[in-house]
Amino acid sequence: MPKDQDEGTLLKLSGITKRFPGVLALDSVDMEFMKGEVHALVGENGAGKSTLMKILSGVYQPESGSITFKGVPAVFRNPLQAQTAGIATIFQEFSLIRPFTVAENVFLNREPSTFAGFKDMGTARKKTTDLLGEIGFDLDPDSRIEDLTVVQQQVVEIVKALSITANVLIMDEPSAVLTDKEIKNLFAIIRKLKARGVTIIYISHMLQEIFEIADRATVMKDGKTVGTRNIRDTNKDELIRMMVGREIKDFFPASIRTKGDELLSVENLRKGRELEDICFTLHAGEILGIAGMAGSGQTVLAKALFGIEPADGGEIKILGKSMRITSVRQAMGAGMGYISEDRKNYGILGPMAVRVNITVADLGRFLRGGFLSGKMEREASAKKITELGIKVAGMNQRAVTLSGGNQQKMLIARWLLKKPRIFIIVEPTRGIDVGAKTEIYKIMRALVEAGSGILMVSSDLPEVIGISDRIMVMRTGRIEGIIDQTGGLTTEERIMSLAVGHDYSYGEGIPS
Amino acid sequence: MKKMPAFRQIAAYAGKPERLVWVILTTLILVSLVASPLFSGWDNLRNVFLIQPVGLGLAALGQTFIVLAGGIDLSVGSVISLLTSLAAGIFQKNPLMHPLAMVALMLALGAAIGALNGMIVARLKVTPFMATLAMMLVYQGLALFYAKRTIGGIPRSFRFIAEGKVLGIPVSILLFIGIIVLCHGVLTRHRFGARILAVGSDPTVSALSGIDVGKTRFLSYIFGGMLFSCAAIFLAARMGGGGPKVGVGYELDSITAIVIGGVSLAGGTGNVLGAFGGVLIISVFYNLMNLLSLNSFLQTLLKGLILILAVAFTSRKKRG
Repeated sequence: MPKDQDEGTLLKLSGITKRFPGVLALDSVDMEFMKGEVHALVGENGAGKSTLMKILSGVYQPESGSITFKGVPAVFRNPLQAQTAGIATIFQEFSLIRPFTVAENVFLNREPSTFAGFKDMGTARKKTTDLLGEIGFDLDPDSRIEDLTVVQQQVVEIVKALSITANVLIMDEPSAVLTDKEIKNLFAIIRKLKARGVTIIYISHMLQEIFEIADRATVMKDGKTVGTRNIRDTNKDELIRMMVGREIKDFFPASIRTKGDELLSVENLRKGRELEDICFTLHAGEILGIAGMAGSGQTVLAKALFGIEPADGGEIKILGKSMRITSVRQAMGAGMGYISEDRKNYGILGPMAVRVNITVADLGRFLRGGFLSGKMEREASAKKITELGIKVAGMNQRAVTLSGGNQQKMLIARWLLKKPRIFIIVEPTRGIDVGAKTEIYKIMRALVEAGSGILMVSSDLPEVIGISDRIMVMRTGRIEGIIDQTGGLTTEERIMSLAVGHDYSYGEGIPS
Repeated sequence: MKKMPAFRQIAAYAGKPERLVWVILTTLILVSLVASPLFSGWDNLRNVFLIQPVGLGLAALGQTFIVLAGGIDLSVGSVISLLTSLAAGIFQKNPLMHPLAMVALMLALGAAIGALNGMIVARLKVTPFMATLAMMLVYQGLALFYAKRTIGGIPRSFRFIAEGKVLGIPVSILLFIGIIVLCHGVLTRHRFGARILAVGSDPTVSALSGIDVGKTRFLSYIFGGMLFSCAAIFLAARMGGGGPKVGVGYELDSITAIVIGGVSLAGGTGNVLGAFGGVLIISVFYNLMNLLSLNSFLQTLLKGLILILAVAFTSRKKRG
């Protein structure tokens, strides 16, 4: 390990800790970045990479720990302070204003000006065009973001970060939606910036990319750093071992793979430009995972099936019976349950008791002579709390004070009272501690073994692979492929190649 | 989906809301010409297009900036009442005060009031609706406390702003056009305008881009407050006085005007020229109702319906 006062150290993190309600996202993380190096950050989803980068770029404030930048202690209270200090970030979720043009976005809040703060859009356009040319991408600087494809938006995001004269450039999964040729251009730019002495922090799932571009790699797991390696002295197997450190079969309950009745069959479902030609079936006893790049239609599909934003056309059959689902009531009546990824806004009733949270969707069952029977409510809640192992101080504990995992269990309990046969669960373990994840998986497995079917939308690839019996991969609103895992688990690369529509081969197939 | 086919046709014909406002205005003017022979009289036209739109227009411009940044200001009417009352009262005590000194004082007061509203919204995190609803009462109370009733005493020199002419053109119109051009420039060509639109479109993304969201909202209230004081200056100059009832109705009229003009109440979309078109529509509409001598309760009722239509139309657009 380099010494504290190492000449080359540009940025040093020590003891960074960040806690979200119910989750310890970063647990005393130490890391060091040298001037002019490409430093890869790898780890599974939820390992804490993005959170760490958001602390570096001033989006989040750590609970404890310190940042030393250019040899002096630094505190970034907001993104502007980080940018001004010279840390530019390409965020994983797009940080673009949709009604604005490309040039307006690239220079947002940093518009060139010749007179009294009035924007000099001519210069902005020209610089944008130059930067676009530099990465070999042809795009009209005057087109609006909302008219662009996801790839083009990603390019704008990259150009925006490049337009900041930075000492440190953080790239959070920049290559996820790019084609080989574009990735090649991106790497050329990274090398150029590196030669200028810019430090690049590069987050990616794609190990082959890391071996092509990075000098060093740090592996993170469960909010901690596992270790840092020189790329020259390590290999993929070692990095993977460091990343995983836990056998998949211990983590995910085994599937017994009994395919029961057809619960749900969807034919030619479509909705505007967001869903086209969707056909699939869901059987009792199976978990069908839905994967794809963000915004490829997975959530739209889930919402359409549950009647939240109904589809325009196509056929939905539930237990063999053709249904038109245009409202949530109909979907619930047909035996469906839905758990949103946004627990805080669309799931829990934060300030209310766990008991109420569990019974609220089915209060009709607890009526005695038109009044709610507190006794029946308490009995039903208590039963579910034990069944699912929800850790509560008492059933009157306020829902908001539970950890993410227990909130999720509480929501599952709510739906279990209604006994739906089809569960739609979006991001079942987002924001949930690693330990609690396994319990959620066990509950999901138990549900399908009891004769339900689960449709799970998830952006967490290890999760999709670990828990799904079949995996449906979506791309731009269509089903790109359905992978049956009966013969053995698939790979993240296989899913990614379907999701982005071009081939990431397993071996050394580095685009060159 | 099959509801209100007329809406869809109009929308399809007029295309973007930027154009829609001018289509409505033209239609309304044509209807007025046919409906009332009095409409085309020179004095009436002057009133409808050159006098009435100035006060409401300045208030609506201020409202535009605040709404675009994601806020709203329900206190504009009370602010105008308070400022006109103060202007008249101060002139009564100091008749010799220079009119430009009064203009400066009014602008400063408008900025201070905007700063107070902005602080409550941005610092205390009170929702803009509630904050300005409460402040509406505060300013109304202050105006009543200070003036109790309409007071005169605005000197001729100050009234020049509304009544005077330069080369045959009313000074008020020159100033108003100047302010519109300035506001349009600020919104479309200045960093401040870009920040306002960005914050109104997506505060999270704006923050990621390094924009101070709270400060931008705060500044939008100051800018809006200064435009409100411009409205107060013009109204005091025109009426030769001020009072606690002068601004009654300006909050809803200004909001209706800009919503018809294509400014989204959700923030982020809209422009100054559209908002001005909305002001002209309100002005022509009120004039038409007066010319047809509609009952005042019917007028009030129609205003309510128009506000609903305008807001319903913009929210339809959002979804569709």
